[in-house]
Order: sequence, then C-alpha cells, then structure tokens
Amino acid sequence: MSSATFAVLGLFSDAHKIVDAANQIRPRKLGRLEAYTPYPVHGLHRAIGLAPSRLGRLVMLMGVIGAGLALLFEWWVSAVDYPLVTSGKALFSWQAFVPVMFEVTVLFATFTAGLAMLFALNKLPFFGHPVLHSKAIKGITRDKLALSIEATSEAFDAEAARQALLDNGAESVEIVPVPAWDRPLSLVGLLRTIAAIVAACLVAGVGLFAAEKLIPILPPMIHMHEQPKLNAFQGSAFFADGRGMRPAVAGTVARGHLPPAFATPEEAAALLSNPLPLTQSIAERGHKVFGDHCAICHGLVGDGVPLLSRAYGGKPGNFLSNEIRARPDGHYFGVLMLGKNAMPSYAADLDENDRWAAVHYIRILQRAQNAKDEDLR
Amino acid sequence: MSATTPRSSLVRNLLVALTLIGAAGTAGAYFISSRERFWVNWLLWTLFLLTLGLGNLFLVALERMVGAHWSVPMRRVPERIASLIPLAIVLLLIGFFGVPVIFPWTYPAAAHNPILVAKTAWLNLPFFAIRLAVCAVVWMLFYRFYVRGSLRQDESKDPAFTLRARRLAPPFMVVFFFSVTVLAFDWISGLEPEWYSDMFGVYLFAGTFISGIAAMLLGVLSLVRRGRLPEVQTKHVYNLGSLALAFTVFFAYIGFAQYMLIWYANLPEEVIWFKHRTEGAWQPVAWLLPLLHFFIPFFLLIGSLGKKHPATLRLAALSILLGHFVDLYWLIFPVLGPQPLFGWPELAMASLFLGLGSLQIRRAMGRGADMPVGDPLLSRGLEWQL
Repeated sequence: MSSATFAVLGLFSDAHKIVDAANQIRPRKLGRLEAYTPYPVHGLHRAIGLAPSRLGRLVMLMGVIGAGLALLFEWWVSAVDYPLVTSGKALFSWQAFVPVMFEVTVLFATFTAGLAMLFALNKLPFFGHPVLHSKAIKGITRDKLALSIEATSEAFDAEAARQALLDNGAESVEIVPVPAWDRPLSLVGLLRTIAAIVAACLVAGVGLFAAEKLIPILPPMIHMHEQPKLNAFQGSAFFADGRGMRPAVAGTVARGHLPPAFATPEEAAALLSNPLPLTQSIAERGHKVFGDHCAICHGLVGDGVPLLSRAYGGKPGNFLSNEIRARPDGHYFGVLMLGKNAMPSYAADLDENDRWAAVHYIRILQRAQNAKDEDLR
Repeated sequence: MSATTPRSSLVRNLLVALTLIGAAGTAGAYFISSRERFWVNWLLWTLFLLTLGLGNLFLVALERMVGAHWSVPMRRVPERIASLIPLAIVLLLIGFFGVPVIFPWTYPAAAHNPILVAKTAWLNLPFFAIRLAVCAVVWMLFYRFYVRGSLRQDESKDPAFTLRARRLAPPFMVVFFFSVTVLAFDWISGLEPEWYSDMFGVYLFAGTFISGIAAMLLGVLSLVRRGRLPEVQTKHVYNLGSLALAFTVFFAYIGFAQYMLIWYANLPEEVIWFKHRTEGAWQPVAWLLPLLHFFIPFFLLIGSLGKKHPATLRLAALSILLGHFVDLYWLIFPVLGPQPLFGWPELAMASLFLGLGSLQIRRAMGRGADMPVGDPLLSRGLEWQL
C-alpha cells in the first residue's frame, strides 16, 4: 500500500456548510479543492474556485467553422465541381444551403460540446477515481457532501488539511491514499468489454430481426416507391396496342436528323457545302466522331488500313488517296448518310453537326499527310 | 411609486409635447399626403403597439402556465406594458375606417378578380368586423383578468388567484394563437389578398413574442436602474436574456422557413410577395431584418457575460425592437410602391403613436407595487438560483 496521500476528504450533511467551508479554506491554498455531491449545489463551483468553462468559446468556434465548411462544400459541389441547374435556380443559391449549414453548425457544436467536455476538459478516459475507493463514497452517492483537498505537490500537509476541514464544520475526515495501480487497463477487463459489446450487438440484432418478423413494418417512403406512372417497356391496357411506351407521331423529325434531300453522294456533293466554321471545338468534336465511328475501318489517320482484322475482308476507302481527297465536302456527307458499298448509313447515329464535324476532321487528316511547305513554318 | 421629481415631470411634459406635435402632423398627413399612406402608417404603428402589448400579455400567461418562479419578481413590468392593449385596440377600431382605403378586397374591382371572389367567404366586411370584435373582446378580457387580478392580489394576498391564473393560461394560449393568426391574416397579409402563406400567423407570433421579451427587458432594466426593483438581481435578468436569445433564434427559424419554402416552390402567386420585398429599393430593408432581428441580438446574447451586462442586454433589446419595427414596415409598406417611403408623415405619426404608447406605459408604471407582493410565488422567485 502506498503511503502517499491523494486527498483529504471532509464530509458534510448541509449544502450551505460545505459552501461556507470551501469559501473559508480556498484562500489558504492547502491544495486543489474539489467537491463530490449527490446533487448540484448552487454556488459551490465558485466556492471551490472553479474557473469559468472554456467550453462555450470552443463550441462557438466550432459552430462557426461548421457553418463555413458547409457553405464552402455546398458552393464547391453545386457551383464548381458539378454545376447542375436545379429548378431554374442559380448555381450558388444560398437559400438552399442554409438548412445544411444550420445542421452542420449544430453537428459541429454538439459534437464539440460532448467530446471536448468528456476528453479535453474532463480528461477522460479515467479508470477508477481514487475517491471511488474511499470509505466515504457510499455516503457521497446517497446524502453526504464531500469537500476534498487534493495534494498538488510533495509538500502537501495532510494534517493541516484535516484540521482545516474539521475547523470548518466537517463531520468526519478521511485521508484517501494514492491507489497502488500497476495496470489501470487489464487484459481481462479489455476482453470482458469486447465480449460485452459483441453480446449487446447480438442481442440487439437478433431482437430486431425477431421483432421485424412479429410486427410487419411498412417500407418507408412507399409513396415515392410506388408512383402511378408507366415505366419504360411496361405494358398498359389503356392503349390499343397494349404498350406503355408511345411511338412518335407520324412525320416527327428529330433535331439534326432531317431526311436527306438527295439520292446519291454525287447529288449531295452538288447540293451541300460544310456550314460549320473550322474552330478548335468543332475540330475536337470531329476527332471524337471520327475516332468513335470511322477509325475502326478507315484507320486512325484515315489511310484505309482498318483497326479490325484484315480477315474482315472489306476494302475501306483511303482518305489520303488523290481520288478521294478531290471529292467535295458534300460527297463525304452524302456517304455518311446513305452508306457506300459495305459501309452502312450513319444517319441514325450522327446528327448533322456531328457529320459536318467529321468531314472537317477528315480534311485535317488529309492536310496533315500532305503538308505543304508553309504548314511547316 | 415614482414621486413627481422635476426630472420625471420634465420627461412627461416632453412626451406630451411630442404627442401633440405628432397629433398635429398626423392631422396634416391626413389632409395633405395620400389617404393610403395615412392609413398604412396608422396600421403600422397600431400593430407595433398592439404586438408589444400582446407579447407582454403572452409572457405573463406563459409564466402562469409553466409555473415559473424566476420571472415572478419582474412580472409587474410585462403586466404594465400589456396596458398598451386597450390603447392599441382603440387605435385599431379607428383604423377600421381605413379598411376600404387600403385593403384591395374591399375595392369594387375585387368582384372581377376570380382569386378574390373565391376568398369572399373570409374576406368580407361583416365577417372582418366580427373577427376584429371577437379578438378585441378576448384580448381585453384576458388583459383585465391577468393584470387587474394581479393588482388586486397585492392587497388581498389571495393564493386562489394564482391557481385560477394558471388554470386559465392554457385556454388563453389557444385563443391567443388563433387571434394572432387572425390579426396577421386580416390586417397584414390581407393588404395583398392574392398572396397567402400558411405560416404567416406563426411568423407574426414569433415577432410579437420576441419584441414582447425585448420590451420587458428594457422595462426591467430601466426600473432596476432607478432602484425600483432592488431585489431583482443579475440572475433574473440573465434568464430573461436567455429567453430573448432562444426566441431570436425561433424568429429567425420561422422567418427563414417561410421565405425558403416560398423561394423553393417558386409559385408565381406566392413568390411575387417576396419579389416586391427583396428586390430593388426594398432589398436593403430586407437585409436589415435578419441583421437587427437575429445577428446582432444573437451574438450579443450568446455569451454568458452579455446576458449579465445591462448595457449589452439593452443594446440587444433595442436591436430587437428596431428589428420588429423594420419587420412590420417591411411587411406593410411595400403596398405603397417599390420605393420605401419614410418622410414627414411617417415621422409625425411615429411621434404621435410612440408618444401615446410611452405615456400609457409611464402611467401604468405608477400603478400598484413594483413587484407582485401578493403573489405566493414571489419569495421563491427571489430565492431562485441560476
């Protein structure tokens, strides 16, 4: 047993007396004052000289940080990273952000209040306070109030503290020694804790599972799940053909998909010229269309060497040949729409702008393979 | 009781002079400026006084209902400020003459407006008058019950009144919420009868309650400073400050909830009301509202020191009261046009109504003891610890 003193405890029965005693003893600076009471005693925190808590400022700071972070996050998500117009509102709509800012403020503030109180200010985890091993603890948890003078240095005078408590109305005094702990957290204790957590999870899980079987629970948000509407490919007795999906009205033309006004590529060449200006973005679009649809047969540079195996057997046109290079833009456009030889029509896959962009890109490939002197300067 | 010192009679004379000048200006405003502007002003200032009175009556009843001890030593102040209710009811009854001038649903053209035709079951003059009369009677009855009863208890020391007051508080709350909702729907949102917001009644209630707390706070602090409430300590005022803090948040919550729902849904008939009030020249006024009604009082009162310091509390209360005025101004005045009007008619009517209100409160401040000495809970209120 250790002979060092942790604290001297004085027991009181009267809340007024313990406050008076604390007020008397505090100026003598015998040691750190602490009080253990079964219920809150008004004025005691001032009497033992407890400084005002720093928690409030911490909570305020974290609340403001929470609000700021939420605003930053929402701004970044909805106006920078993935700008998506929702019901015609501005991308940065602070009105829509306020509820989330409010929630995050509360989240940061309450978590700070709870965690900082427990771990930073109350210095938890703290296994087994020495006072818990005192004889007085039974009284303290029932109807006694204890004022304790804790040793803060080697020079602590337990006898003086004892006398001071007795002089100020303590009914009895107990000297609490520093407990002789070698291992505050034992392996057995740790294993027991883990076992208890596992057992609690099992009980809760099995209990919930059983309860769900006994009491049928409606699926949440059923009104969103079951909407009175037809999904794609769903049948419907309402329409004469029994299908939920409706065909387009006769004569409907999609944007960019006007039916051709020509019967052969030669007619197209005579009728049409490329309406698109050659800009960076159109060249890039042509590059993408060419890469997605043309390069597989005509080759990445348009030389007619397919990416597919030769076993395919087709003879794709070589855009770099003099014959094909000499054809006007409209001819390419016409072939894209009507197809030629083994090549199918791409009218359904590409709209007007895609086709003209591809034509631009083919011209770029041709120029690249037949560079003139001035292109190199 | 306040003895007639030279200073207090000087203040009284100044207030009387202010009221008289205001009365002359008001008469001038009636004949010179437009009738709409006159009656809109009348409505604004009547509602300002009425909501202060009702907010304080509500505070009295709230204390009765929850059985609070801490506010008992200060209860005379809200009871006295509630004396604005009879004054404001008289003013509101006079304001009834302005109904055909400022409420569009009374115009002949309303018969051709399908939206207003659909609302005639509610918006017609006889029913409007009945609602006004019922509200006025209810307010007067409860005002007399709580304030006169409390004054009589000073002499009789009868604890039965305390029990009766507590039993009657819950029904009062119900009636009060309905009456404030009627007040909000009839006298404020009725100015633009096509518009509606289900929570507008709660919005006016939130403004009424928080401005009531602010007025009570100012009253308590001024009596404490004059040494008339020697036993009211920092702890009592601190708790009142906490209540003010909580309900500035409540007001902001309700105000923003109403705004955000309407902003989100973006329905033309609803959103036009906010468009008139948040764009153009009204925008700065709209920004004043959260500033005065929430941000300034919130940050003044959030710390524990602020709630113990009379100057800080006074500043917060003044900010809330100014915010309440701006709130009513912002709710009512946009019917006059896209420019916020504030000229000599407004100043004249402000001095008349504020003068009348101040004189009424000053008179009430001399009535009865400064603390409810007959209330059996008073000693517990004085002993109460934070």
